[in-house]
Amino acid sequence: MSERNKGEDVWLKLNRIPKYIWVTLGITLLTILLHVIGISDDLVNVGLIYLFPVLISAVYWGMGPAIYAASLSVVAFDFFFVPPYLSFTVEDLRYIFSFVVYLAVAVLTASLAGRLRQQLEVVKQREATTNSLYALSRQMTAVTDLHTLLGNIARQVSMTLGASAALYLPNVQGELQVTSSSKDSDSTSWGEGEAEVAIARWVYKHGEIAGRGSSSLRESAGLYVPLRTEDQIHGVLAVNLESSDLQEQREELRLLEACGGLAASAIARVKLAEEARIAQVTAESERIRTALLDSVSHELRTPLTAIIGSATGLLENDSLFAPEDRKELTGNIRDGALRMNRLVTNLLGMVKLESGMLQLRRKWCDVGDMIGIVLSQVQQFIQHRRIRVELPDQPSFVSGDEVLLEQVLVNVISNAIKYSPEDSEIVITVKVDDLHGRMTIVVADTGVGIPEADRERVFEKFYRSESSRHVTGTGLGLAICRGIVEVHGGTITAEPNPGGGTRVCICLPIEEPEASFTYMGQGEEE
Amino acid sequence: MTATQGARILIVDDEPQIRKLLKVTLQAHQFEIHECADGEEAVIQASIVHPDLIVLDLGLPGISGMDVLQRIREWSQVPVIVLTAKDREEDKIAALDGGADDYVTKPFGMGELVARIRVALRHVAKTTDEPVLRFGPLKIDLAQRQVDLDGSPVKLTPTEYEMLKVLATHAGKIITQRQLLQQVWGGHHHESDSHYLRVYVGHLRKKLQEDPTRPRFIQTEPGIGYRFLLQD
Repeated sequence: MSERNKGEDVWLKLNRIPKYIWVTLGITLLTILLHVIGISDDLVNVGLIYLFPVLISAVYWGMGPAIYAASLSVVAFDFFFVPPYLSFTVEDLRYIFSFVVYLAVAVLTASLAGRLRQQLEVVKQREATTNSLYALSRQMTAVTDLHTLLGNIARQVSMTLGASAALYLPNVQGELQVTSSSKDSDSTSWGEGEAEVAIARWVYKHGEIAGRGSSSLRESAGLYVPLRTEDQIHGVLAVNLESSDLQEQREELRLLEACGGLAASAIARVKLAEEARIAQVTAESERIRTALLDSVSHELRTPLTAIIGSATGLLENDSLFAPEDRKELTGNIRDGALRMNRLVTNLLGMVKLESGMLQLRRKWCDVGDMIGIVLSQVQQFIQHRRIRVELPDQPSFVSGDEVLLEQVLVNVISNAIKYSPEDSEIVITVKVDDLHGRMTIVVADTGVGIPEADRERVFEKFYRSESSRHVTGTGLGLAICRGIVEVHGGTITAEPNPGGGTRVCICLPIEEPEASFTYMGQGEEE
Repeated sequence: MTATQGARILIVDDEPQIRKLLKVTLQAHQFEIHECADGEEAVIQASIVHPDLIVLDLGLPGISGMDVLQRIREWSQVPVIVLTAKDREEDKIAALDGGADDYVTKPFGMGELVARIRVALRHVAKTTDEPVLRFGPLKIDLAQRQVDLDGSPVKLTPTEYEMLKVLATHAGKIITQRQLLQQVWGGHHHESDSHYLRVYVGHLRKKLQEDPTRPRFIQTEPGIGYRFLLQD
């Protein structure tokens, strides 16, 4: 046994004093009890009964108390029960032999029970460790934000080890910094001191464990573990350990290593996910830029060509044209300009939506009224399509930005007109579901329909279904619609119309108008 | 439309192209046109020329269109139609509440502008007190507080009658939500009170047998207010 362990035994003995007092008390009581019941002449049974305190101490307190109990009970047995009573001398020397056998049996039983107890404790501790590691790993897989993840790791590690923990990660310049620590409200947390950061840097650089309980820098208060995955060190995890028990230190070191491994893989996972996301965003913005350029150059040039062509024709060859031709050419100019205006409006709308400039100015909007305004706006290109509106009996209100919601309806209804044949019917249905606090506006056409595969994608920016390439457009309208509806907390979906064609459903949440206000139609004096 | 012919119109716009477009078209409609390119000059011209109507661009160099409107309103009730490229409602509402009679947004259709000009000019001619207003099948007898539709009386609550009266006496013109709230309910109102308007307009429309999706009489100007439609 090492020097250190001997000193520790002394300390442990001091700590166990209450147990020895309990043992002493128990044996004293037992002795008195045996005398009271009056079986003091039946020495065999008395000897057996004295084994009880030995076993109980072994099971509950371990070896030391058990041996103490064995010795004490031999002494008590000798003193009180072996004739001559109240004396340590024995009448018959064979009793000495009995004592030795008794002691041997007691010590053997005690040591067995004690070992079992020790094993149980080890197993319990392992279970606790496994549990905390499991909790840690479960927490880590659920989190995708690096900052929250680091905070969780620090908190969990410090909870598991009962010590303050800190995480060091390199910053943008590659310099190691404290990124998360298990803070106790306002006190400055451990791990931010110069010495601690310096050790962490050393660990980060060398990729080795350092600190108390390890092979290097064992004089420092903390234990530092590099967060290592196969090819990379992501950072350093450190805990401020206080225990001086070698066994405990080893246990903590193992646990910390396991935590470090988990933390490293979690950090690597989040980092990779982030990289993948950035790559995706870059690819997406690249795609959008190309699509924007293609579509804008095409969509702007087409009407411009029409305008310039018609205008120059009119200017240069005015005398050649009959009045009808002139009317047609000027009509061309107007249509081209209107088309460009629509495009610019949509582009501006998209920019507003994307840049977060869009601010909802919620008001109570009468949906019937809104549809009326929208119909008057699309009137000029309805041509021979019939539009039927089915409204609930009561005026229905929805809280939202009426100008934006109208833009949604204009886009959806214009699409219905654009993609449906002449003389077909477009049905706009408004349904209010008070129970779920929802209003659904359905615009159904009997046009070409949207293929199953495109039903979700038509709401993406610049996406044009293959089947609709021949119809002019930028693929911005529905993207804007979705943006606006989602800002209102609603959903917009496209589904096939049972009678052929497409149904676009706009679902918006409704809240009760201020409860204090009710229409006093009847109450007012005439 | 003889009442509006030959009227003098002052065009205030800093874009020469727009001025030219307006001048050519409006002259073709038999209006007498004066034009200027900035706000300071507009105020001076307004006092010298005494136009019958002003078409005012809001985005001007120097003093803004809103300031021009404010200065003119200090001494004149000449109808002002605001021409604006700003499509945010608050700009339009500010102009209307600041005394403008109507607004037209750029890009605009010439037909629409001419129609608005005619309404504004006619409105001036019509301000003589008439006790009975007629709009197609609708008759509003202001003296008797009586409203008839197709010859049969319509039962309106006092609030509904007040709303209809305010809208009809400004027929063709936009009444902003704030103006309507003030004239019907009086006092100061918050923007959120516009819910009252919607509910009352909804019921008024129902009593006037209007299809909200195809209004005959009361037209909603999105986010701004209402306009009583002239029956032509």
